[in-house]
Amino acid sequence: MRTRLALVAAVAGLLLAVAPAWAHHAFQAEFDKGKPVHLVGTVTEMEWINPHSWIHVDVKNPDGSVTNWMVECGSPNIMLRRGFTKRSLEVGTELEIQGYQAKNGQNKANGSSVTFKDGKKLFVGGSNPDLPPDQK
Amino acid sequence: MSARFLFLLFTIGALLPGLSGQVPKTPWGDPDLQGMWPGNMGVPLQRPESLGTRATLSDAEFAQKEAQAKKQAQADSQSTAASDSVGIGPPSYWVERGKPTRQTSLIVDPPNGRLPPLTPEEQKLRKEARGGKGFPGEWRGEANSYDDLNIYYRCITRGVLGSIIPVVYNNGNEILQAPGVVIIRNEMIHEARVIPLDGRPHVSSTIRQYMGDSRGHWEGNTLVIETTNFTDKDAIGSNGAGYPGDPGHHSADLKLTERLTRVDANTLNYQATIDDPKTWTRPWTLLIPLKRDDRYQLLEYACHEGNIAMGDILSGARADEQKKTE
Amino acid sequence: MRNLVHLTIAAALLTVSAAAQTYRPPRAPDGHADLSGIYEALNTANWDLEDHSPQPGPMWQTGAIGSEPAGESVVEGGTIPYKPEALEKKKANFANRRVNDPEAKCYMPGIPRANYMPFPFQIVQTPRGIMFVYEFASANRLVNMGKPEEAGSDTWMGTNNGHWEGDTLVVDVTGLNGLAWFDRAGDFGGKQLHVVERFTRVDPYHLNYEATIEDPTVFTRPWKISMPLYRRVEKNAQLLEFKCVEFAEELLYGQFKKK
Repeated sequence: MRTRLALVAAVAGLLLAVAPAWAHHAFQAEFDKGKPVHLVGTVTEMEWINPHSWIHVDVKNPDGSVTNWMVECGSPNIMLRRGFTKRSLEVGTELEIQGYQAKNGQNKANGSSVTFKDGKKLFVGGSNPDLPPDQK
Repeated sequence: MSARFLFLLFTIGALLPGLSGQVPKTPWGDPDLQGMWPGNMGVPLQRPESLGTRATLSDAEFAQKEAQAKKQAQADSQSTAASDSVGIGPPSYWVERGKPTRQTSLIVDPPNGRLPPLTPEEQKLRKEARGGKGFPGEWRGEANSYDDLNIYYRCITRGVLGSIIPVVYNNGNEILQAPGVVIIRNEMIHEARVIPLDGRPHVSSTIRQYMGDSRGHWEGNTLVIETTNFTDKDAIGSNGAGYPGDPGHHSADLKLTERLTRVDANTLNYQATIDDPKTWTRPWTLLIPLKRDDRYQLLEYACHEGNIAMGDILSGARADEQKKTE
Repeated sequence: MRNLVHLTIAAALLTVSAAAQTYRPPRAPDGHADLSGIYEALNTANWDLEDHSPQPGPMWQTGAIGSEPAGESVVEGGTIPYKPEALEKKKANFANRRVNDPEAKCYMPGIPRANYMPFPFQIVQTPRGIMFVYEFASANRLVNMGKPEEAGSDTWMGTNNGHWEGDTLVVDVTGLNGLAWFDRAGDFGGKQLHVVERFTRVDPYHLNYEATIEDPTVFTRPWKISMPLYRRVEKNAQLLEFKCVEFAEELLYGQFKKK
């Protein structure tokens, strides 16, 4: 039992020691944890740019007016390698976004959860090379 | 096969040039290292102390690591987002995960897989850097100016080692060769290091570069690259940024020796020895086995050009200050 | 006197073209012409592709150092065939060039500009394709010499598909994002920019560079630039590092600093 525990601890340590998930920059410096947003809107533009891509969406406000929001997503290189192209996300596509608004008060949000109308994730798919192709 | 035996094989594979005659040659007769060799995240830089001098995982440990990876891959491939997954960080399925391996640490020398001690001068330097704020990679949320952020956030470069140490995504590395020249391309941040093999001397020591000044030569089937003329403005570790726990800041006197050897048709061992007596009390060596992947697309990573977040982070910090004074 | 100068230039051009007809470049390992080497333009195209008089630069503070030398057009026929609204945009670009020129911001120069900036670049012919490595901003591109590929998304340096026409390397560049400028005068292309480049080694020390540029959203017809590129013949010539992001940060982000 003792050795087993030691083993588990060692492996847990290994997993923890794996390089942390440093994205290109710290989202917590850019977005405000105190300003959660829930946006439903239609795509007006997809900017396939590094370090992070940006989706522009028109969001209808309760008073009927429309606000264009910019939503920060992942590095486009990953999405392109998974088979997405500049034609994959068409203007007019309806998306639901949950995230947090930019600290500077602009209409920008982090795309922590970006889903299609049916609840499917945008840019779905793990990249574990061991997964069969139909699961990638 | 015992782990010990595997380790032995592994070490021999890493240290000896590949078996001659089996390594393909270029039309002009050099060993052919060309191809797409993306990095594979998942091996920690330093070995957990509990593993001692053990360079590979046991069967049981490896099985556990594989199970963990499988679980993660399943979670990543869920087609619908979990309702409780909304955080301020990026979602997990944006990253490119590596394939689990038995290697217990990227550091293979010292034999305990851990960094040698810092020199007293370096300890002092790190403590006193920027008036006690530490080097920018150890950034804790302060954004008074752009240079409070690390060189990766600023899209300057990730340096030679930061460009090849595997991270969460965009680990593309491509090697190209021509007579007298080797080019190492790193996807992030669009590096293309042109390495002359003609025995010319280094440029003057007055000239300092993030990517240093590289000269290559062949030792059997191993490409040996010696690089000097560094700046002291990047760091060693993931993304060259100097995150906490990374080897971190190095001096401009760093001498880097990279050794690239094809150990089988689909494996290129990348080994790098860091010799910087101003910073570390002894040289130390990293081993990054790279797997050939001809399907990998190395795409343009134009970082600075689209770095909208820089303005957002700085103006966000100003907005926070404004809020505090109101 | 002026006639004499013209005569001399004409004679020199004749000599170059006569040499081009007889010169057979050395061979790369694959048997094609060997264009490899470090090259640099020696003209004022990066200031302005078209004819221009000497004039002050965008910053009076730098005095004569930052001012613009005169230069003759590298555009066939002299002028770029802009649509009227595009010409207005070019003029606006010029007026705001100090802050809006992508070169000032240290952005990748794009194609064709990368080839005639006042920085060297290196051509390396490899079995995996032909690499162009530029000193400016560490920009680079790999020209695919195999089956043509289509861009998955638009980029600064484009999707580069090449082939040989005799000893001339022809590079077809698509997938350009249209954000790069062609020069400091604000000349530009749009989202449909398509550039076809031709590199020909005319003697041991020169490449002839030609680029045909089209974008129906910006120009009334395709147009062409051409110029010699000069080999850097210094002993041990090599590219050095010009990672210029740091030199542009105050310009780009200075406004957001803590006061």
